[in-house]
Amino acid sequence: MCVLCGQDFVGRLHWTDRHVTDRALAAGPASDPGEHQRDRRRDRAHRVALLNGVLPHYGLKVEDWSGSKYLLRDRKGRSELVQDLGALWPAAQRLSGRVPDPLDAALLESLEGGR
Amino acid sequence: MAIPVTVVTGFLGSGKTTLLSRVLREPELENTAVIVNEFGEVGLDHHLLRPVAERTLLLGSGCVCCSEREDLAEALGELLDLYQRGEIPALDRVVIETTGLADPAPILHTVFSHPVLSHHFTVDLVITTVDAINGTMQLSESPEATKQVAASDEVVITKTDLAGPGEKEELEARIRAINPPARIVEASFGEVDVRELLSPEVRVGERDLPRLQEHDTASTHTVSVTFDGPVDWTAFGIWLSMLLHARGESVLRVKGLLDTGGPGPVVLNGVQHVIHPPQHLDRWPDEDRRSRVVFITRDIPEESLLASLGGFRGLLGARVVPLGERVSSRGGSS
Repeated sequence: MCVLCGQDFVGRLHWTDRHVTDRALAAGPASDPGEHQRDRRRDRAHRVALLNGVLPHYGLKVEDWSGSKYLLRDRKGRSELVQDLGALWPAAQRLSGRVPDPLDAALLESLEGGR
Repeated sequence: MAIPVTVVTGFLGSGKTTLLSRVLREPELENTAVIVNEFGEVGLDHHLLRPVAERTLLLGSGCVCCSEREDLAEALGELLDLYQRGEIPALDRVVIETTGLADPAPILHTVFSHPVLSHHFTVDLVITTVDAINGTMQLSESPEATKQVAASDEVVITKTDLAGPGEKEELEARIRAINPPARIVEASFGEVDVRELLSPEVRVGERDLPRLQEHDTASTHTVSVTFDGPVDWTAFGIWLSMLLHARGESVLRVKGLLDTGGPGPVVLNGVQHVIHPPQHLDRWPDEDRRSRVVFITRDIPEESLLASLGGFRGLLGARVVPLGERVSSRGGSS
């Protein structure tokens, strides 16, 4: 654990982060490491954009934090840094005081309205 | 190559040990290590047998399925150490025999998330033994038994030689209703085809998945879906991780193949909160190239799940279609 950023170096990779690592491993050691970084950044940017379609319903938004974590904020300026989607939902629940639930009819309505 | 771990679960007296002692006689399983939690009436005699006392480390979240089985982590770590030091010449497979009431999810969680073990082991199969005489009753009365069947890739019906007329068929229908994609294997006196039993492969789609409304009487619901086009994998990860956060206790199983627009599907396999590392295949296992995902839930009505995936279609990039209905168009959206 790095004391400055809280980065856990003995990483436990969340299942939603596997595909990028798998793609890099499949490309092999001779592949361009820059391409892996670009792939990873594209994927994170896409995830952030998708999440920001869901989180406003809970008064939250998320941004990429230096390509290593996600910064979750509420409208009062409170924030939490999270590693992955496994940590994001509990943090969203703490900040919003509500359980983010994809079965919630009000959320589904706001998703339909937002498109 | 990761060493496959096979989890054998099933109620007390359902024939786990009988099955194992039979299976372990096969010469091809000579280099299989066995971790057992309890000694049953039938003693196992095997040179790589390691008895451990079940010890669970409940992690901060307090959720049982995401707890770590310390005993297993330790036993697997020891095996790995012996193997790497050359004290065990070969380690082809590890079989974990659980106690009758054990929840398989923490075992999977332990293997998938442990910082060291996750690089050396993978869980290839969860096998549950159900006995033909008491199985139907146990499934009616015990939520643990239902959970074990839902978590299985294979269900072995034991003691079929002792079952009365119709008992086996009734039990089979019951198992099929709880867990449609599971393979059902019969064993009398522990006799099974070992090669068939231990060959993990992508089995979803081998048989037709049930229609939407088919569900078990004891409040488990099975929903099989496909999509009218490729699904955005990142969006699906958001949806499923959110569902597991909110309703993890109610999601007994998620299993299937998901078309994410690649040359092959993504293999999805989850037991409660615990999702296997998703595998991206480079080709489809058969002619059918549609997504097919089965959700086995407790107390989540089919309509809610479909409405939720429907509401997320803008993010997912495809519309959910309950399986059993015709898909009218394909590949139009992305």
